[in-house]
Amino acid sequence: MKKTNIVAFSILAASPFLIAIVALVSVMYGTKDISAITVWQAITAFDPSNVDHQIVRTGRIPRIAAVLLVGAFLAVAGAVMQGITRNYLASPSLMGVNDGSAFVITLAIVFFPGLPNYQMILLSMLGSALGAGIVFGFGSLIRNGLSPVRLAIIGTVIGTFLSSIATAIAMYFQVSQTVSVWYNTKVHMVDMDMLMLAIPFGLIGLVLALISAKAITITSLGEDIAIGLGQKTKTVKIISMLAVVCLTGTAVALVGKIAFVGLVIPHITRFLVGVDYRFIIPCAAVVGAFFLALCDVLSRFVNYPFETPIGVLTALVGVPFFLYLVRKHGGEKRA
Amino acid sequence: MRKKTSSVFVMTVSILMLFILGAGYLHITNGVFDMSVMDVLKTLLRIEPNSKFDLVIFEFRLPRIVIAALVGVGLGMAGVVLQGITRNGLADPGILGINAGAGAAVVIFMFFFQLRLTSADMSSWLSILMMPIFGFVGGAMAAVLIFSFALKNGHLDMQRLILTGIAINSGFGALSLFLSLRMNAQDYEAAAVWMAGSIYNANWIFVVTMLPWLILLGFYVYRKSYLLDYFQLEEDSITSLGIAVEKEKMKLLLASVGLVSACVSVSGSIGFIGLMAPHIAKQLVGIQHRYVMPVSALIGAGLLILADFIGKTVFAPSELAVGIVVSIIGIPYFLYLLVKSKA
Repeated sequence: MKKTNIVAFSILAASPFLIAIVALVSVMYGTKDISAITVWQAITAFDPSNVDHQIVRTGRIPRIAAVLLVGAFLAVAGAVMQGITRNYLASPSLMGVNDGSAFVITLAIVFFPGLPNYQMILLSMLGSALGAGIVFGFGSLIRNGLSPVRLAIIGTVIGTFLSSIATAIAMYFQVSQTVSVWYNTKVHMVDMDMLMLAIPFGLIGLVLALISAKAITITSLGEDIAIGLGQKTKTVKIISMLAVVCLTGTAVALVGKIAFVGLVIPHITRFLVGVDYRFIIPCAAVVGAFFLALCDVLSRFVNYPFETPIGVLTALVGVPFFLYLVRKHGGEKRA
Repeated sequence: MRKKTSSVFVMTVSILMLFILGAGYLHITNGVFDMSVMDVLKTLLRIEPNSKFDLVIFEFRLPRIVIAALVGVGLGMAGVVLQGITRNGLADPGILGINAGAGAAVVIFMFFFQLRLTSADMSSWLSILMMPIFGFVGGAMAAVLIFSFALKNGHLDMQRLILTGIAINSGFGALSLFLSLRMNAQDYEAAAVWMAGSIYNANWIFVVTMLPWLILLGFYVYRKSYLLDYFQLEEDSITSLGIAVEKEKMKLLLASVGLVSACVSVSGSIGFIGLMAPHIAKQLVGIQHRYVMPVSALIGAGLLILADFIGKTVFAPSELAVGIVVSIIGIPYFLYLLVKSKA
């Protein structure tokens, strides 16, 4: 216990440096490399006529900010889901949360074009809730439905269903392009308004997750134990699902669907800091932010000078890790 | 009992044939411009041939229907084999990731050979004929990966099988996405259309490409279908019958991967047909695989022609990829099966 505390605190203590380094690299390198001094000048003494300053201010900084936020949001959402469901495969992308969000956004683009950004974020969250609600609802309806394997299957299949319907609707109303611009990963064109809105919404999610951290630890020991300890399991589930919805809804609204971050990072964090969600949640946020920022930097160099979708990078790490988890745990219930 | 099953079989097959004809009729008479059944018959039987009708029927609609039927047959049969081998009703080439493996291999092929799918000159014939072979290598690789991960103490662990399938799907999906983005615009267009699981650029070359695979492997798995009955028994009792279980399973698996790859190389990844068709077939003609197999093939063909018809008419003037129509129909069915199946 004492030892894990030390690891957790050192992760949190080292995080500003690590994140500052990856952020600096991210701002400096890309299709056009920009020196650190220019970056510094762009921040402190902005000169609108200088193209490099413009790139830093309007392109690179919003991008790294969005990537860091989304990495943190998705990792925390995944950690919360894994803890609450005691399912080692639970994660936003596998559980239809992303697809639910994309589905509702498609409907919004078709039927209410030109909605302001904050309403889009709210709708995106509503969609996350819808996707998660359908998957978990269905999972609890059928026998053994919340076991890792069944939930993963249900999540994948319902996710495919929602995205197929979204594709069909988009096709029918001929808005495919608008929709695909919206929910395909778009880290290279982060919207500044959206970013400013994502911060408060995401913070609400993070705070909710932190508030319920202790209860999640207890839940992760097992439903019976949690009830025995006098925990209001329903309330805990509702609050933590609200956190998940806020976090993933904002993440999808900001950059689109990114898979595997919410699956892999909580496992790595648990490996590092142990089973106490009061440490897991903040550490997952830091590790997730760092991981996604790193993937984003790499995504610019895999196929230089063209950018590779960041999802390809996360899959590169995520798929082998997923296979490893399956190999190790099979169908057991554990988080 | 035996007599009864076979008469049910004959009746089911006849009704399915009528269904396929009906779906084919809808498909061939409707479209960007509608034609009457007389027009179609006159054109097909070469009475008063008319170059406009000839073009529409022989170059666009007929190859498309034939491809839909063939892909349906292939996926329907492969689904029966996979469900029989794994003894799991939820097994499907799409869910197991075989589609994705074959698909990624075909994308690699398109990437390196800069294939224009629509061109029909002689030089492209050879490369199109090679596509199923590439698909087969990819599909077999995916199958080997999936099965090696799912083996636990020498036995297939179903849960791992499906989970590994999900992982393989996203892995190969990412690989295909990565490669397709590096293609030039024209190839990318072709690859993207193809990956969504569509057959609207069907032509006769594709038919020629996949036909030998379907005929050879189709007959092989049909001839071996009695084995699938035995596989439902306990492993020990099959061995005592003198059947080399693992060897036969491996051969059948490879044959079904071949069928799937031939389908994927012309139509892209179409899921859920291999899942639905065998189940419906079993409800119609019982559990004997020599009846289930052909019925499942016909159901696959009928479903796919119908789905393609829906995709092309409901969304006109744009077309919805048939793979997406199939998912919208197939997923509720899958969930229904999941509810029904025992945990």
